[in-house]
Amino acid sequence: MRPSPKLHPTAWDALVVLCVAALAIALALFQWRGGTSQGLTAVVSVDGTEIDRVSLEDAAGEKTYQAGAYTLTVEYAAGSARVRTSNCPTQDCVHTGVVSRGGQSIVCLPARIVIRLEGGAPDPDAVDAVLG
Amino acid sequence: MKRLTAYVLLTVLFLSGCGAQMSPDEAQESIQVIAMDTAMLITTYGERSSAAAYACEDVIRDLEAKLSRTVEDSEVSRLNAAGGGAVEIGWDAYSLLERAAAYSSSTGGAFDITVAPVVSAWGFTEDSFRVPSQAELDRLLPLVDSSQVSVTPSLDSNGDGPKATVTLGPGQAIDLGGLAKGYAADKIVGVLREHDVPRANINLGGNVLAYGGRPDGTPWRVAIQDPARVGEQDAFAGVLALTDSFAVTSGGYQRYFEQDGKTYHHIIDPATGYPADSGLTSVTVVAALGEGDGSGFPGTMCDAYSTALFIMGEERALAFWRDEMMWGEEGCPFDLVLVTEDGRVVVTEGLADRFTLEESSGYTLEVVSP
Repeated sequence: MRPSPKLHPTAWDALVVLCVAALAIALALFQWRGGTSQGLTAVVSVDGTEIDRVSLEDAAGEKTYQAGAYTLTVEYAAGSARVRTSNCPTQDCVHTGVVSRGGQSIVCLPARIVIRLEGGAPDPDAVDAVLG
Repeated sequence: MKRLTAYVLLTVLFLSGCGAQMSPDEAQESIQVIAMDTAMLITTYGERSSAAAYACEDVIRDLEAKLSRTVEDSEVSRLNAAGGGAVEIGWDAYSLLERAAAYSSSTGGAFDITVAPVVSAWGFTEDSFRVPSQAELDRLLPLVDSSQVSVTPSLDSNGDGPKATVTLGPGQAIDLGGLAKGYAADKIVGVLREHDVPRANINLGGNVLAYGGRPDGTPWRVAIQDPARVGEQDAFAGVLALTDSFAVTSGGYQRYFEQDGKTYHHIIDPATGYPADSGLTSVTVVAALGEGDGSGFPGTMCDAYSTALFIMGEERALAFWRDEMMWGEEGCPFDLVLVTEDGRVVVTEGLADRFTLEESSGYTLEVVSP
């Protein structure tokens, strides 16, 4: 059996090693430092199914959502969202006003639309649920 | 040198791999469910958090299909349409009818599922609001009588078939909406335990199940909406710190309409046929989960009592609380947060160290003892 040739590492091998090490370190740091945390995002769902996702980091503008016979116009701004108009009978979604923190939501029951904010800076004093 | 390089690479890759593994407590699922005429948010933790959250949704959908008055072929709809004829029902409807009879008795009729025809007359069932005439209410009020609901358990109560046969009195109808979400919360506790969920925050639209505590080990912070500032975000009467508890709030602000400058809300007093006018603007009932041995229905009880005590008013509600704490047969101790029209928040002693008044609300805090 012929012995395998002796390999001599080259500069290219060192470069590859360095790249792999840098990538692994970056991945570890990303995950350890809360890489799963995200900026404030408005998640829009109809009857539980997500239909839109809007980053509120620097959002500005309006979007219109339709469900059944109802149309909601949602105004997005940097760090906040509100339902500006709706043709639903209760107008609860409009009266909810501006939401600006992760966990807050605007619900339009007649249209079965929920706009829920996710992410953003964690706040230990924020409430987890509201009775009412 | 090569060996050293290999060790360094292995170590770094191992460390990055550790970071990729999510601890059971960090694994989280959060789903929105619109059911039972409300928006619900189910947040579960643990390795099986996704399966648990969707299993919770299945429980809610199943109960809605069986118990909703507005689902055409539900057991309740079939019963209401039977014109006094006998209808077979399954275990869930049977359990709730049994509970409803007990709560109607214990609250002296303040809680009554046969108030359904009167609630419909006000248009709250179909969102077609109107003020019924006194003559119409006088005609409907005799139908509000739980004693006319006849429930006969089936002989084959161990099989998968119907668990009972039910008949209503002539012209009667029932609505289990005052119990169904609480009952769903009771059943969800079983789902969470089956899936080894360490913590969960289940909000069934005014019914909150605070299961375990927050991931940081502190209790869940559950706020009570300030009934006087409904249109405002973060306008709370106070905040409860809850672990392994049910909490349910009833308030006239939750559903109402205005006519000729007057506000009419959805909590109808079975005695008068009119929206309850008791001096309370909201009632929150809090109870512990229990031991999980299947005895008691604390979530269902909180749901029913929040409505009944809102109708009773402060004095009767506190007397009821004292009696139940001393002599109650349900085996589910509970505590109360009452918000009054005259600017007070009345908290029963068991919640005194778990309730924080929201100072900006302007309410004064009173703590009452048994």
